[in-house]
Amino acid sequence: MKGLIQGLGVTLKAMTTKKVTYAYPDVPLKMPDRFRGVQHFDPDKCIVCNQCARICPTECITLVGKPNPDPEKKGKVIDTYDINFELCILCDLCTEVCPTEAIVMTNNFELAVYSRDELFKDREWLENNNTNVRQDNNNIGAPQKGGAK
Amino acid sequence: MTRWVEQPLSWENVLIYAVLAVVFLLLILGYVTYAILFERKVIGWMQFRHGPNRLGPWGLFQTVADVLKLLIKEDTIPRKADKALFILAPALCYAPSFTVLAIIPYTRELYFADLNVAVVYYAALSAISTIAIVLGGWASNNKYSLLGGMRSGAQMISYEVPLILSIVGTVMMTGSMSLRQIVEAQGDWFWEWNFLPQIIGFGVFIVAAVSELNRSPFDLPEAESELVAGYHTEYSGFRFAFFMLAEYVYMFAIAGLASVLFLGGWHPPAPFLGFIPGIVWMLLKMAFVIFFLFWLRATMPRVRIDHLMGFAWKVLVPLAILNVFVTAVCLELFIKG
Amino acid sequence: MIRTEELLLNVGPQHPSTHGVFRLVVKLDGEVITEATPVIGYLHRGTEKLAESLNYTQIVPYTDRMDYLSAMTNNYVLCHAVETMMGIEVPERAQFLRLIVMELQRVASHLVWWGTYLLDLGALSPFLFAFKEREMIIDLFNELCGARLTYNYMRVGGVKWDAPPGWIDKVRDFIPYMEKQLKEYDRLVSGNEIFLARVKGVGQYDAETAIAYGLSGANLRCTGVKWDLRKDEPYCIYDRFEFDVPVGTNGDCYDRYLVRMEEMRQSLRILKQAVEQFPSSGETMGKVPRAIRPPAGETYVRIESPRGEIGCHIVSKGKAEPYRLKFRRPSFNNLQILPKLLVGETITNLIAILGGVDIVLGEVDC
Repeated sequence: MKGLIQGLGVTLKAMTTKKVTYAYPDVPLKMPDRFRGVQHFDPDKCIVCNQCARICPTECITLVGKPNPDPEKKGKVIDTYDINFELCILCDLCTEVCPTEAIVMTNNFELAVYSRDELFKDREWLENNNTNVRQDNNNIGAPQKGGAK
Repeated sequence: MTRWVEQPLSWENVLIYAVLAVVFLLLILGYVTYAILFERKVIGWMQFRHGPNRLGPWGLFQTVADVLKLLIKEDTIPRKADKALFILAPALCYAPSFTVLAIIPYTRELYFADLNVAVVYYAALSAISTIAIVLGGWASNNKYSLLGGMRSGAQMISYEVPLILSIVGTVMMTGSMSLRQIVEAQGDWFWEWNFLPQIIGFGVFIVAAVSELNRSPFDLPEAESELVAGYHTEYSGFRFAFFMLAEYVYMFAIAGLASVLFLGGWHPPAPFLGFIPGIVWMLLKMAFVIFFLFWLRATMPRVRIDHLMGFAWKVLVPLAILNVFVTAVCLELFIKG
Repeated sequence: MIRTEELLLNVGPQHPSTHGVFRLVVKLDGEVITEATPVIGYLHRGTEKLAESLNYTQIVPYTDRMDYLSAMTNNYVLCHAVETMMGIEVPERAQFLRLIVMELQRVASHLVWWGTYLLDLGALSPFLFAFKEREMIIDLFNELCGARLTYNYMRVGGVKWDAPPGWIDKVRDFIPYMEKQLKEYDRLVSGNEIFLARVKGVGQYDAETAIAYGLSGANLRCTGVKWDLRKDEPYCIYDRFEFDVPVGTNGDCYDRYLVRMEEMRQSLRILKQAVEQFPSSGETMGKVPRAIRPPAGETYVRIESPRGEIGCHIVSKGKAEPYRLKFRRPSFNNLQILPKLLVGETITNLIAILGGVDIVLGEVDC
């Protein structure tokens, strides 16, 4: 009997405490800075080193570079850059290895769409996804630093 | 009400009774709507969340949406099922629950019938619902429904015995089975109500009532679906709603019965609070009993079937019989002697 | 002529009480089970095969998804295996961070077990109570590494992120709050007579059976065998902390329950000490070559995850990808006792026993 009464007491007390649910989606959820959301791509910083495509565990990044249109500058600039969000697991390894922080994560996590075609995001979409960009990127895998792959 | 009830039967009285019954039915349906909402809200509060609050302000239209969903569902009847019995079972389950409400007196004047065998009337009619449940399980032509139906039939029959035995004590104290008289016999102060002298009976009544209603912690028929399907598996849409409606109306009936038999009916807890009308006290007590049922559901795990049957026959029935003996001895020695 | 027939009942794969997509084919004689066969493989994703074409940093996100309720321990077992093969030393602060997250993960995993076990038994509220506390742990992890369930936190040689400012204080404040909540849970459930009647004496086995079937974790300790890899084969920096290893006596579901509740308390004890001794500065990543190529050979390491003993066997041919990677998953071995344990039980006890074994299907199927 005693255990039953104690249990009833706990639930009664819980009834009067403050509720812990969030009012999402009426109130947007604020994520901490390090949250790994959908990526943001800055094409001007990209040097087409292909590290992100190589490290991706699910091979969801495809990119094509072209020679720099400016004849005096060397190196390549990015032509197309696609991430297939049917495969992307938001694991953050691409931002970890990017030496120029061209690809960074944001804190946006709402990716639900009505058709699978819309999940294949191209360079323009990723460039425009520039709200809530993560500040702390910690690209320890970037080749210059000499850290772990 | 008393005026109308005590008049001889005539055509215009029948019309008035019919209208009153329909009004009451609508009130009961309104009660069920908001009882379902309140159950979800109260259980939500006990779990640190708000309960339904998206449909309508404060979630007030939640049940309306749920009932609408049930109404527009496809009405499927299994191919080899016994069609007549399949259709009959939910209605047979609901009808006694509504008829039982006739005997509950809400105040001194507000009642539908003052039977002098009210307790037996309740016991007899609520047993018909048990038949309906077994019928539903049989008519579904599904071996798991049959198993679930048999099991819940066994549960409900076993718990009717202590339920009725626990009321015998109050009947003995009052000297009549009429519910109005039982309320009249209880005094004005809250310690004169029947739950204190009949404390064992009250305890047995509450436990047996929770089991009769198939509510947690005795909700094996509903939760059977976690393993072996319960009696209402093949029922979908509005037929299923009928079974649930019957459950909530029985909750109302049990709350009414508990308030009337043990908690003093329309009496205020102290005479100086008598300026508040009796109906308010009656409704408050019923609301408290219903809240207690929700509270139990939020807290307790489910009882296993063998523990359930063992508990009924080995604990509750002896306790109830003990209560009858003690009441008889006390009445003989202290009151009459 | 009366003929009795055995009923064949399929528990799952879609079922509210099997923790994941798990199927148990049960032969019933009336109410009593005569034979039970688990059927697994509904969640097989080919992690071990995929790993043969990925380098070790790329495998870490896949380990998160194996036992998704205790992702940190999975990350650790892989990184530990590679570090053992290559002889890499992990700096102090990284070790502390690893230990703190692993113990927090243990508490979170046991909370999920507690909530879902009681939900199977019919109590609705403990589930939400447990998830309220787990949400706080998940928020801590969210601040630390940016994800709520699949952390991808550990790397070969250390951890990816250092603790943000104020994080250790938040962990320190969480510990007494959680201890108070554990007392509330005891008041809500552990003394409840209905619960005790359902759990005591159910699913009993002795120590020899447990060792013969290769059980580990709470399933082994409930029989009285005091075996915990954190004490018997210390890894990380567990040998610096004082904690007890709870053991049961009877080997029934109730003892498994008590052992896991006590494990939560001991984890909080370790956390308290770790937070006190946390170094104020240090590196989070050791000296790791740019290309992680373990020398040719093989290794097997094992650690104590919340479900039992998780092991990682790597066969390397000197390349960046493993030649063969095999995980010894505790849930896979723990569930082998079900066919033996369920014979002679009634259907109603099946749910209580299955919940007590605490399996996670992501781990069973890998």
